[in-house]
Amino acid sequence: MPAVKAGQLALDQLDEQQLVAACLAGRTGAFDVVVERHRRSVYQLCYRFVGNHEDASDLSQDVFLRAYRGLKSFRGGSSLATWLYRIGVNVCLNRVALKKPPIEDIDARPHVDTSRESQVERVLREERGAQVRAAIAQLPPKQRATLVLRMYQELSHEEIAQVLGSSVGAVKANFFHAMGNLKKILGTREDLA
Amino acid sequence: MAHLTADQFVDVADGVLAEIDMPHLASCADCRRQLADLRAMMTEAADVEAPEPSSLYWNQLSMRVRLAVAEDATRRRAWHERLLQPRIWVAALAGAAAIFVVVQLRVAPAPVEPLTIPIPSTPLPVAGERAALPAPGPSLPPLGRANDPQLGLVADYGVALGWDEMRDEVALGVPGASSDAVLDSLTVDEQRELQRLLADEMTQPAVPENRS
Repeated sequence: MPAVKAGQLALDQLDEQQLVAACLAGRTGAFDVVVERHRRSVYQLCYRFVGNHEDASDLSQDVFLRAYRGLKSFRGGSSLATWLYRIGVNVCLNRVALKKPPIEDIDARPHVDTSRESQVERVLREERGAQVRAAIAQLPPKQRATLVLRMYQELSHEEIAQVLGSSVGAVKANFFHAMGNLKKILGTREDLA
Repeated sequence: MAHLTADQFVDVADGVLAEIDMPHLASCADCRRQLADLRAMMTEAADVEAPEPSSLYWNQLSMRVRLAVAEDATRRRAWHERLLQPRIWVAALAGAAAIFVVVQLRVAPAPVEPLTIPIPSTPLPVAGERAALPAPGPSLPPLGRANDPQLGLVADYGVALGWDEMRDEVALGVPGASSDAVLDSLTVDEQRELQRLLADEMTQPAVPENRS
């Protein structure tokens, strides 16, 4: 049975390499599928970095635009998601270097399903979540990137090392220090409260 | 025993390393506390939910990206087309050529014609031995470069020899230019006259040097 060519398959049936090849071949709609598959995780990454929807949305768009421009350089050595995270981290670090992002206050955050929680529990949980997010936003950029990729994007240390261009040992050290600093920042706030 | 490193703390917290493999933990309260703090902080950070935008937002994001990509592609195409217009690249080529000429005129030194005086690699011949020496061949490179070793050889000779010695050395290579050859060329009468003049000169008292 002859092999099925990438061009003959529906776009949503293509694997990563075939999808990238289809994009590079100029197949209409191929890049839309890339965006559709990865938009949520890219947005989450950006949101964890900047802590507000507006900036996260702009940054997500920027990540995909840069990915489209640089698609020729994607060699397939890592997964497309890891490659997009690398772009995302660079875009976010550049943004962080340029300006201090505003953090959304508790009331501005979208609604989370809390039907089984009491009103008090929900308020406390959201308040604590906002505190942790604000503390994460104060971490040094590399520690913040390591924590976000590890805790929320669920990347392994090896994948984080690929994204950040550092060693696995450095990733683990960054993660350890990020957790230590997070505890210090939250502890200071609790002391002040 | 040494405290746990950052790597080891993370590996134990992740379960990659078992606590039992780290006997130091059993005896060090400080490391146990750090490990407990790390685990507690990881749990707390993991519990923080990222707010989920409405389901309509994802299509909106896809649309924004599609528009941005299309706009970028249009901008790039327009830029390429502009670049390929003859008036653009002709002007660019003319500009580049002008810059090249100016740079050449300002930077490149005027070409120096190298001297092509051949110098034999063997010592100068003594009169009479000339025929035995090999004729100067084309094996030596021409003179003229600043770092030519042959120029150094000439300079060494100039420092080592006095003027009279240099004259005698040169005279050896020129037939009829030595003092003996000059005497040989005199007639008998001329030689006698020269002898008389020299004898008179020898009998003159020495003139004391004026030391004033």
